[in-house]
Amino acid sequence: MSNFVYSSSPHIKSPRTTRRIMIDVCIALLPACIAGCILMGTASPATPELGWMSFMHLAICCITAVASEWIYLLCCKKSFKQIINEFDFTSLVTGLLIGMNLYPTSKWYVGIFASIFAIVVVKMLFGGTGKNLVNPAIAGRIFAFIAFGAAFGGVMGYMGPGDKTWALDSPIGNGGSVTAGATPLQTLFNADYTSTLTNLDLFLGTGVAGCIGETCKLALIVGGIYLVIRGVLNFRWPLVYIATTGVVSVIIAWIDNVQALPNVNSVMIGEAFKDAIGIFLPSILSGGLILGAIFMATDYVTTPNTKLGNYIYFVLLGVLTAVLRKAVRGEAVSFAILLMNILVPLFDLVFRRRPFGYVKPQKQPRPTKVKTSEPDEKLISKEGE
Amino acid sequence: MKTFKGGFHVPDNKALTADAAIEQMPAVTDYYVSLSQHIGKPAQPVVNVGDEVVEGQLIAQASSAVSANIHSPVCGQVVETVKRKNVQGAQVDCIHIRSNGKQDKFTYQKLTDPTPQQIVERIAQAGIVGMGGAGFPTAIKLQPKDPVDSLIINAAECEPYLNCDNRLLIERTEQFLAGVRLIAKAIGVSDIYIGIESNKTEAYNKLLSQEGVIADTKEALQNRKEGDIVAVLLKKKYPQGAEKTLIKACVNREVPVGGLPAAVGCIVNNVGTAYAVWDAVVNGTPLYKRLMTVSGGGIVNPKNVEVAIGTPLSSVVELCGGLSDNTVKLVSGGPMMGFSLMNLDVCTTKTDSGFLALTDKEASTVLPTPCINCGRCASVCPMRLMPMYIDFYTTVGDTENAVKYGALNCFECGTCAYVCPAKRPIVQSVRLTKMKAKEK
Repeated sequence: MSNFVYSSSPHIKSPRTTRRIMIDVCIALLPACIAGCILMGTASPATPELGWMSFMHLAICCITAVASEWIYLLCCKKSFKQIINEFDFTSLVTGLLIGMNLYPTSKWYVGIFASIFAIVVVKMLFGGTGKNLVNPAIAGRIFAFIAFGAAFGGVMGYMGPGDKTWALDSPIGNGGSVTAGATPLQTLFNADYTSTLTNLDLFLGTGVAGCIGETCKLALIVGGIYLVIRGVLNFRWPLVYIATTGVVSVIIAWIDNVQALPNVNSVMIGEAFKDAIGIFLPSILSGGLILGAIFMATDYVTTPNTKLGNYIYFVLLGVLTAVLRKAVRGEAVSFAILLMNILVPLFDLVFRRRPFGYVKPQKQPRPTKVKTSEPDEKLISKEGE
Repeated sequence: MKTFKGGFHVPDNKALTADAAIEQMPAVTDYYVSLSQHIGKPAQPVVNVGDEVVEGQLIAQASSAVSANIHSPVCGQVVETVKRKNVQGAQVDCIHIRSNGKQDKFTYQKLTDPTPQQIVERIAQAGIVGMGGAGFPTAIKLQPKDPVDSLIINAAECEPYLNCDNRLLIERTEQFLAGVRLIAKAIGVSDIYIGIESNKTEAYNKLLSQEGVIADTKEALQNRKEGDIVAVLLKKKYPQGAEKTLIKACVNREVPVGGLPAAVGCIVNNVGTAYAVWDAVVNGTPLYKRLMTVSGGGIVNPKNVEVAIGTPLSSVVELCGGLSDNTVKLVSGGPMMGFSLMNLDVCTTKTDSGFLALTDKEASTVLPTPCINCGRCASVCPMRLMPMYIDFYTTVGDTENAVKYGALNCFECGTCAYVCPAKRPIVQSVRLTKMKAKEK
């Protein structure tokens, strides 16, 4: 009689499971969600409903994402009990992230379509958890951006309350109406960069328009620190990504400044550099960079598996983000992450680790071809046929 | 504190038996002595059914170059030769000896001031094998083909729960050190290191209090005399006690892929082996007893026991108070590299360093979920492999690519499978690939 479990070693395993990691990510996202709802609701006395709309977006996205995963699995003939047992909260994370990537004034159906696209097309059709090629939340956001345009909002501009147009990261007017304004991001690379928003505003998200989840950088960083403490996130990768973006932005601004100079001398180049340094903080505190860096680019499935590969991946990601911001001025973070995600399998192939005690294979001298006058036997037999 | 790259801090759970003094296992009536307790060919029986044997008498001798002698654990009569399951689940020939209660004992001639050749011969006679778990015949190990300059004694005991090496270091320090010096004499080296993990403070201090043992500090090394043994304190990390990681930590050399420690001038021996060598040379006692940690939440009274080989595990467990009701898993050896058992119907061998009964809280019974590519397995792999790809390619049946990602370099320490949040059976995949690659 044997009632004992019989299996391969090791017989003890760490208590960390996929489900626990994903619950941790959900918890880490909560501060940013709450801060987003409150900030949107209190940004302007005329538009308190933005807070409720933000909350509604988050709820709709979460419910849709989880529901679409479950319905897909039911279609795959899995029993409901099995689905509940195997539920690993990844779809909830995706849903939350998509909600955070919407604008409070996006149309209500945008989140539904984005979530269904992210879960069904990007994740489940590729094989479910761990098999997706690109981050589902990023794909969902880009899907919404391309498919819905004005209904999604963002840089394309959308019709907000009082038919005023918003733009990404534009200051929200205090006079009771939402004003149109150039965003720091859009003017970042203009020589005459000025903004009514201070760095502190950008950091706290006060009076900044934008996506629900990406305005309050403080809340995002708090969530990130929680993940680092829980051992879910390696603090290096977001830092490398954010720092690279900042540095490359400064370099681009410097080059722009120098090009704009009437005549070039060393003193003026130095002055241009001093001016360019001023955009380091705005460039990293604007837009979705911190949200993307902490929660989306570092998604396990879509990052390389080696240390060297990860360093190169995140540096390239930072460069690409800064360059895309200069070039297309919108959705730079999303597109950069999407493009780099596709390259991840290549990173693992190229930056493979050398095993412990690796011995370089000795080069064998190439066998020199000896020309023989006799015709090749194979050829003869073929001709014979 | 010295260590290697990679690895993971696995909770050690050693407190259960860390202070339990070694106990002698009382005699039982029936012993089943396996003929293959070592790497290599099974030993050839030299006794017939019905023969009377005494404790320590040779009952089976080495049948080829890589094999080992086996001695009777008890005075009694050979009842039969039967096939029994060993801990790995394979059927092996065993000699069944029934005790007759006599106390006679056979010992070889005691050697005083032996030559290296005599030591090696005695080790072969006494049937000593590597007692860390692999069971490689020690006599062959001590005659390496490559020139060797260092002897490293593996006292890391990185496996959780196990304490037999720790207790041996504390209770039989002098005998152990004498054994170490005998091994060093046999291979003719004077550079001796003892690698010990930092969680064994008592054993470490006991070692340092002995004459001729110095700490691994700059001042101590400057005053090093010829023949001094260096006790190297190692960081507590799994798998610190694996041969290759131990060499890396102690003398900072990397054993080449597919090579033996002798390729970088090192020979590694276990604490238990050193003690057995002392016993065989100084007392003439062949190897038929070993220390074993019986522990885990499912054991009522966890103990460190000195058992004779061939003792049925059920008797050993009985001595320790039996199993509790919430035991879900039986493990022979450590929890990271040991083998799980179907039942207690197996007998101890020279390589059994422990027996664990794990409760549902300790043993993981979570079913595997899909890999989420988190890369933890790669970051902890002491061999710097990429286990996620080995697992993936094995699962899809692509042995060639699994080998390309290093499946054959893996020594199955199980760190990757321990940290895996998706609970992938990575070690199982590696074993499967190794088997398939062998078939080809």
